[in-house]
Amino acid sequence: MSADPSLVDAGSLDQLVRRLVADVLVVPLEQVTPECSLVSDLGAESIDFLDLVFQLEEALGKRIPFTRWQRYLEDRFGTGDISRRITPRVVLEFAVHQSQAE
Amino acid sequence: MGERVAITGIGVVSPIGIGLDAFGKALRAGVSGVGRIDAFDCAGFDTQIAAAVPDDFDGAVWVEPRKAAKLMSRSALFAVAAAAMARQQAGLEAGDADPDRVGVVLGAAGMGPTDNDLLAAQARAMLETADSVGPDGWDIPAFARAFRARTNPLATLRGLPNLAAAHVAIQQNARGPNNTLTTACTAGTQAIGEGLRLIQRGDADIVFAGGADATINPVTVLGFSLLGTLSRRNEAPEAASRPFDRDRDGFVIGEGAGVLILERESVARARGAPVLAELAGYGATCDAYRITDERPDADGAARAIRLCLQDAGAVPADVDYVNAHGTGTRMNDLVETRGIKQGLGSAAQSVPVSSTKSMIGHLLAAAGAVELATAVVARCGGFLPPTINLDAPDPECDLDYVPTVSRPARVNVALSNSFGFGGQNACLLIRRW
Repeated sequence: MSADPSLVDAGSLDQLVRRLVADVLVVPLEQVTPECSLVSDLGAESIDFLDLVFQLEEALGKRIPFTRWQRYLEDRFGTGDISRRITPRVVLEFAVHQSQAE
Repeated sequence: MGERVAITGIGVVSPIGIGLDAFGKALRAGVSGVGRIDAFDCAGFDTQIAAAVPDDFDGAVWVEPRKAAKLMSRSALFAVAAAAMARQQAGLEAGDADPDRVGVVLGAAGMGPTDNDLLAAQARAMLETADSVGPDGWDIPAFARAFRARTNPLATLRGLPNLAAAHVAIQQNARGPNNTLTTACTAGTQAIGEGLRLIQRGDADIVFAGGADATINPVTVLGFSLLGTLSRRNEAPEAASRPFDRDRDGFVIGEGAGVLILERESVARARGAPVLAELAGYGATCDAYRITDERPDADGAARAIRLCLQDAGAVPADVDYVNAHGTGTRMNDLVETRGIKQGLGSAAQSVPVSSTKSMIGHLLAAAGAVELATAVVARCGGFLPPTINLDAPDPECDLDYVPTVSRPARVNVALSNSFGFGGQNACLLIRRW
């Protein structure tokens, strides 16, 4: 796997995340606003997050175990039904976190 | 006797037409859907031909939300599209039936991973770990790491055989029994037969029944090729599928789906549904003989035909048309001819029998469903679809196979046969409502 280095700065990461969310959920790019809920507004179901994390892994060129995403959400939101709180902004912050991680 | 079961809608995705009307016109015209494989680079393959669903078919238009299509294999997408077309024809509205009483039974392939993305991911992971293969075996943990890094988790979901029926249920809000049969080339026919039984035994009022298959991929083509069952007439694709002909050399893989709406008589009447035909009989047997050889005495095939007639309360003289399994392998053609003679007795000498696989190829798990749809088309359209390419019959195949061109005919009762690797034999009977 080799990442396109131009994608890994924060501004283009934002574009990348929006595009991935739109692709994975098959919705128009305009619908992907920073604070919309992937589940409530864009119709995501649990397996879509598997796809999203896989696509992010391919785009960033680094291995991101799905458990790392799950742990990130738990650390941030606790263990209740937090799926509705996942927004493109949350995905972006996770992506920034991952792209900076060793 | 309980209530009858009506066929009120049919959806077809086939190499020669999408939707029942287009499919029926092509059947009448005797069109071949066989061509050179363009789904992958087949250079060097013994068999380089297949009957593919045309590229302009856009299954996603039948899917809501569009995202759901991403989780569908090609065959599941065919099934979902065919089910939606069937519902449209049946005029079935959301309030017409209790969703808990609507079932789905589909025939599907069960050949393991054939998804090209999944195969490519496996191949790459294997290549990366090829150096680890030695006298002590293969480094599986290293393979696992490489595979995990390469494989979209959704790829596995596209390979599960029961998911076509699950997708149909989600799209159609069908919350009753949901079954999948993986009995190879008999699956579509058995799915419809078992769907009939679901209604007869009171477990459902409406059943989406049929089959879907999409196996024009390197693994399946090579697999059937290794078994020696495929035609190699690569230079003349349209002439390759020639059941009952002296010069046949095997079957041609086809792809597609057929889904029928089976409906309890009282439910169909209550909503004033249009009825295409009655699904009146089903017979199923097994040769219990050999895996790929059919019983030379054709006893299994003949018993399926007789059981089907008996189930429908019909006699051989009632039968106006038989849609044959008719694969175009020598063994099938001879044994099926024998089976029809034994199953129908003296009536076999005059009943027309055709193999529409000559036009659409062998749709495997979808074959029986699209072929029962063909029998209904023959009934409603008043014609016998031909066995194209039947220029010089095998001397041992001496029935009326409706050679080369279709024929006008009044069809009140029709049979459809399917036989599968493993020895399963099944027969369905439809008749005028």
